[in-house]
Amino acid sequence: MLLLQLLINGLQLGAIYALTAVGFSLIFGATKIFHVAHGAAFTIAAYLFWWTNAVLGLSWLLAAALAVAAAVAFGLCMERCVYRPIQRHEGAFFTVFIAAFGVQIIVQNLIGTVFGRGFVSVTTPLSHSIQVLPGLFVAPVAALAIVVAVIGFSALTNYLSRTHTGMAMRALSENPDLIRVFGLDPGRVAQYAFAIGSAIVVPGAIFTAMTAGLNPAVGAHVMLISLAATIVGGIGSLRGAAYGGLLLGLAENLALWRLDPQWSEAVTFVVLFLFIIFRPAGFFGRPHAAK
Amino acid sequence: MSQGGEVLLAASEVAKTFGGLKAVDAVSLSLKSGIITTLVGPNGAGKTTLFNLMTGHLPPDRGEVTWLGKSIVGLPHWKIARLGIGRSFQDLKLFANMTVAENIETVTERGSWLWQPGGRAAQKARRDKVEATLAATGLGDKRNARAVDLAYAERKFLSLARIMASGARLWLLDEPASGLDPGSYQSFLSLLRRQVREGVTICIIEHNLDIVQGISDRIAFLDQGRLLAEGDPKTILSDPALAAIYFGERAV
Amino acid sequence: MWAYIINLAVLISINAILAITLNFILGYAGIFSIAHALFFGVGAYTATFFAMKFAAGFLSATAAGMALAALISLALALPALRVRGEYFVAASLGLQMLAVTVFTEWKSVTGGIGGLTNIPPARLFGFAVTQPEHFLLLSLACLALIILVIRALVRSSFGRSLKAIRDDETAAWAYGKNVAVIKTTAVVVSSALAAVAGSLYAFYLSFINVESFVLDTSIQVMAMVIIGGTATLLGPVIGSVLILLLPAGLSYLPYLPVTEIGSIQQIIYGGAMVLLMIYRPGGLWGFQDTPPSRKGGAT
Repeated sequence: MLLLQLLINGLQLGAIYALTAVGFSLIFGATKIFHVAHGAAFTIAAYLFWWTNAVLGLSWLLAAALAVAAAVAFGLCMERCVYRPIQRHEGAFFTVFIAAFGVQIIVQNLIGTVFGRGFVSVTTPLSHSIQVLPGLFVAPVAALAIVVAVIGFSALTNYLSRTHTGMAMRALSENPDLIRVFGLDPGRVAQYAFAIGSAIVVPGAIFTAMTAGLNPAVGAHVMLISLAATIVGGIGSLRGAAYGGLLLGLAENLALWRLDPQWSEAVTFVVLFLFIIFRPAGFFGRPHAAK
Repeated sequence: MSQGGEVLLAASEVAKTFGGLKAVDAVSLSLKSGIITTLVGPNGAGKTTLFNLMTGHLPPDRGEVTWLGKSIVGLPHWKIARLGIGRSFQDLKLFANMTVAENIETVTERGSWLWQPGGRAAQKARRDKVEATLAATGLGDKRNARAVDLAYAERKFLSLARIMASGARLWLLDEPASGLDPGSYQSFLSLLRRQVREGVTICIIEHNLDIVQGISDRIAFLDQGRLLAEGDPKTILSDPALAAIYFGERAV
Repeated sequence: MWAYIINLAVLISINAILAITLNFILGYAGIFSIAHALFFGVGAYTATFFAMKFAAGFLSATAAGMALAALISLALALPALRVRGEYFVAASLGLQMLAVTVFTEWKSVTGGIGGLTNIPPARLFGFAVTQPEHFLLLSLACLALIILVIRALVRSSFGRSLKAIRDDETAAWAYGKNVAVIKTTAVVVSSALAAVAGSLYAFYLSFINVESFVLDTSIQVMAMVIIGGTATLLGPVIGSVLILLLPAGLSYLPYLPVTEIGSIQQIIYGGAMVLLMIYRPGGLWGFQDTPPSRKGGAT
């Protein structure tokens, strides 16, 4: 029964990780930018949701909308104000990475200063666990998280294969030079990628606020997992990032079956390591892309 | 135009597919010593990929690549380079933040440890080589300039200088002279000819038909990953079918 | 006042060692590692272990730390350097986080969260280094030695190969460089020397705990390298001076709440990193325009 419980918790966590990882992978695929400030979008969305909903008392719908707006604004701002100027002069991986890192540090500390460093969370009826079977507690949030993740992912896949900009994004991740051939503006496509990639973290952010709770470092943690999930899933594959996130969420929880809680984070990294050693291309990545 | 001596580097039925695209499709090409072979063909014909396959930069899906008769498929790129196969890149790939002298120097250093084998004598030999290369390519007074600060023509010459200094026996040059002004062009070509007289074998990917006519001892024509023709320049260049393919692409 | 300055100087020299060794792989080789704090920790814990269990002197305790750090870095480098740079970052991040958990949980060796106290003073040739002034001499001597080693490496054919790999890895392969071995060696050297800083730290404070070896520390060292200037010998030293003087400087500003100083510090260097990357990627002391570029040369 414990195993089943851990499985369900793992799926819930995995759903959250999957969404965030997909956002990161989308951005990286379409723009080749290693957006390590992605976690900051998560933190901003989560805290804004908490603050407007739990502290200010706004309806969850309004709070969610504000969170999405904030995340999108953050993503667009990063693209416009930080990455674009850097790419104008040479945009090396190094420079982009450090700048993103710097932003991540700033956001994390600002949030800590403004909202405090302790854990905060949003209590809703949705997060109250119901005893479904003896020893098995499931909160509606778990089911909701999984459903939202699935819906979100299929919506995204549809977008990418049906709309013009979506297909442009996919083209970009295959071959950046193609973009100009099709007469599309890489800047515009990049903006869409950042907007969507950042927006997609919001459900996960909200669910985290409702379940595990938030602290300023939550974004960094989620960023790590997104990174690991993208690699495990295979760079360039959104499906892979989603499965990677799911796998890591499951691994983190299933580890509790045998290990103490403080080792669960370590499990994530062992999984990552194993993939880097034995299958650097990840689940769905192209093997030569790993070199 | 000579026919060349022993076969140095030979590709035999090599193939490489990317996604659904057959970049190189069962190509067999032998590079014979002492001559200049030119690889021509429309854009996207697979010429650069063929170079990548022959230098170990990419593993072939099928086929064999041999150096002096021995198979080199599966050898790491750096080992193949040390066998004496030098390569230049279409986008140059200079060591941007290093000086001209350092770019050349690092190529002469076999192994990368604190102390190079051979002691003082070898060190002097390397230094002389660097000087000779700088002189031959006309980069002497730019020796302390950073590669990223060089003018276009100078960068092309630096790319050549690196291969020269590496002591490679076979040079695979990927559009080495494209975009050069006529004056630089001529010095570039005479440099190449001088090297061949001194024992170097060269294979060039080239688009400019004047160059191709001017220096080729043999020509290989690639299109859509397949080797359509190989032989002496006169025959190939006067073939109307090949011209159609080549100029047909050009006209677009 | 004098004691305060000496203390600051020792900490600066220890951090300068960390910055210089990180710069060796980051600035000269273009290898991104966020695991530097873990090697700092390995050096500290190992030196302490040998000093406390075997009454080892400074030199042997430090050597033990260096050996273990070298081994662990091999375990990181061998798999992770074969693949793309982004993977190495992820792997180093993973290892760093894993290490923190190990440092916290392996109570018998590391003292867990409480850490290890009563570390005996460093003994060098029979002489116990107890006075801060003497320790400053020791740490400065180590710093100087490490600077000389790095300088020698950078100016040698090894250094040129490293820079070539940083500037264009493909070309490096094409010109006969065994890139994997060179990068691995660089990481091992960098990590082993970082362990020296750890040993100094442990002997100086006589107390260590996991808090000094967390991700934030890796980030702080990276900030020193970036801000001071990559690919120069002096840059990281300048960076470490600036970053260590920052809290001291901030404490002079009367209207800053003391509890927030840590955060404000981080915000300042986060901001500095962003601004520098946009306007002056080479850092304060480094190249004006082109930092280690993964694309290299013309586009």
